[in-house]
Amino acid sequence: MKGKGVLSVFILVIFGVFVLGMPQGAVAKKPLKIGAVYILSGAFATYGQFARNGINLAVDEINAKGGILGRKVEVTFEDSKAKPAVAIRAFRKLVYEEKVDFLVGLDSSGVALGVVPTLPELKRILIITHAATPDVTGKKCNKYAFRISVNLNQNVGAGARIAAKTGAKRWTTIGPDYAFGHQSWEYFQKYLKKLVPDAVFMEKVAFPKLATEDYSTYITSIMDANPEGVFISLWGGDLVNFVRQANAYGFFKKGYKVLMSLGAATEVLYALKDKMPEGVWVGTRYWFLANPSPTNKRFVEAYKKRYNAYPSYNAQNAYTAIYALKAAIEKAKSTKTEAVIKALEGLRIEAPVGKIYIRPQDHQAILNVTWGKTAADPNYPIRILKPMVTFSGEEVTPSPEETGCKMK
Amino acid sequence: MMETLIITALNGLSLGTLLFLISMGLTTIFGVMGVLNFAHGSLYMLGAYMCLQAMRLFHNFWLGLLVAPLAVGLLGMAIEVQFLRKIYDRHLTLQLLLTFAFLLILDDAVRILWGAGYHTVDPPRLLAGTLRVLGRPYPVYSLFILVLGPAVGLALWAFFYRTKVGMIVRAAAMDREMASSLGVNVPKLFTYVFFFGSWLAGLGGALAAPLRAIGPAMGEKIIIESFIVVVIGGLGSFPGAFIGAMIFGLFDAFGIHFVPRIHMAIPFILLAAVLLWRPRGLFGEEI
Repeated sequence: MKGKGVLSVFILVIFGVFVLGMPQGAVAKKPLKIGAVYILSGAFATYGQFARNGINLAVDEINAKGGILGRKVEVTFEDSKAKPAVAIRAFRKLVYEEKVDFLVGLDSSGVALGVVPTLPELKRILIITHAATPDVTGKKCNKYAFRISVNLNQNVGAGARIAAKTGAKRWTTIGPDYAFGHQSWEYFQKYLKKLVPDAVFMEKVAFPKLATEDYSTYITSIMDANPEGVFISLWGGDLVNFVRQANAYGFFKKGYKVLMSLGAATEVLYALKDKMPEGVWVGTRYWFLANPSPTNKRFVEAYKKRYNAYPSYNAQNAYTAIYALKAAIEKAKSTKTEAVIKALEGLRIEAPVGKIYIRPQDHQAILNVTWGKTAADPNYPIRILKPMVTFSGEEVTPSPEETGCKMK
Repeated sequence: MMETLIITALNGLSLGTLLFLISMGLTTIFGVMGVLNFAHGSLYMLGAYMCLQAMRLFHNFWLGLLVAPLAVGLLGMAIEVQFLRKIYDRHLTLQLLLTFAFLLILDDAVRILWGAGYHTVDPPRLLAGTLRVLGRPYPVYSLFILVLGPAVGLALWAFFYRTKVGMIVRAAAMDREMASSLGVNVPKLFTYVFFFGSWLAGLGGALAAPLRAIGPAMGEKIIIESFIVVVIGGLGSFPGAFIGAMIFGLFDAFGIHFVPRIHMAIPFILLAAVLLWRPRGLFGEEI
């Protein structure tokens, strides 16, 4: 009948107008989703907070300039609680429920060791920005895991070079009683022995439990053994406690050559202020004053303005990871995992820490490592490093063969 | 060698004193109320944060030492009145869950209020220096704690064994029903005891503030150590808390110095030994 025909045409026309008239934006580009897993609660929550700061700064800057490949970047944060099982669940949730395209994360080496083998199942790139165990770009490497930050080998390699110049021959260590502390000592001995063949490593060492609050007997015990050099791999709140307590026992007035592999971390320097003695050699994974480049100056200014503190290494590393992803995605002109892996391998970018090269054989970043002697400076509320000694990545990074990485 | 042993012993006793204050609160609460306060370590942590806050406001450590434990004590009292009181006649596990819940709540609250970073409190100038003990530098503050602990212990002993109120508390600890039928207002007593226990934990925290970095979850370790001390000394025993804490501190210090490899196991070996040989603890009541 004529009525039905007209109604059908009418509906078709309306439908057509509706579909054709839909603005491009509604079916437009979906946001690029990144999942970030860090320690957000408990004793080490400060590290997750720093990473969050760095990531948010990077994402806001990138989005203000149009995003990546025209897509807005969105980040979802999850708490690893410093537990591998929790972190693995968090990563699965991010990939399967939140459908993120890329992953960044991980403060704890223990957690990283648990998570990295699950990446081939998730088929997502994870850029590690903090966990320093050599194994995730070494014995346990796989093509999905990348590390944009200074690892244990590099930091300790630089430290050994500093130690060699101090002239001390009898060395002991104070480090946390888990993989990080023991591996730091193991690698320190290995690297120092190559530079100072007659170096002696004492029987008496100290490995207090992580989160020990009272170091008094460790301090008096080590002082009793009369070392010439002390290599300290304590970090974070533990280092803060140790330094304050050691001060009271006159530890820093005995003429020991003291090295602290993570003593230049900003959270430690801010907590200690003038209680950090001067003249101690300290290392870190990024020192905000080491690189005079405009990239670094801009980053430090923007970070200080937004967060009212100088950027910690954790913040810089996380910030750089986002920019590395951006560079790789733009180079590959795709967000497909396989294409971005290829783009990340061999990638060279300019980061606040300096020039970074992502080595294809093990996915470890080759970058500058800075150590320095603590010194007071009226322009800064914390101890700064004067003099600063910067080692090139090539100088302090073991070769891919040495790391034991067999990338499948 | 002799000097090292004495210095090590001093370290141990200093640690023991701090543990004593916290364990004393824990054991009193258990002894009188039968409540195992899992949140005790968090109250200790809160004491440290309150001291930090007091330092920021008043710039006076002694005032902080006065105010912080009081604040923690009042918070404890509020927890008891509003929450704990409602579940005394319920199953023991509910009490454990409730105090554990407060542990979690306080840990996160502290992070939200003061941030996730580390804070430090300086000791007052009077106590900030070093003394020479047997020719070696020793922190004055540690000696201060060493002296303060037994002083507090003595005051507590005098309170519990020489005053009427103390006698009532001990009576309620021994036999709650009998004390109640003799006219003691047991619920009110419980509130005061919980205040007292929390006050002690807060005092421990405030005293620890100049020694240890203040950060979220700083109570996690001390609660385990306090539990061990309380079990070794005897649940509910006041002299037990003192002796247990001293033993713990000394074994800890000498363990670190002489057998560092197994030092971590020593408190638990002690615990196992006491439980096997004398399950009620050194001074505890017959089970």
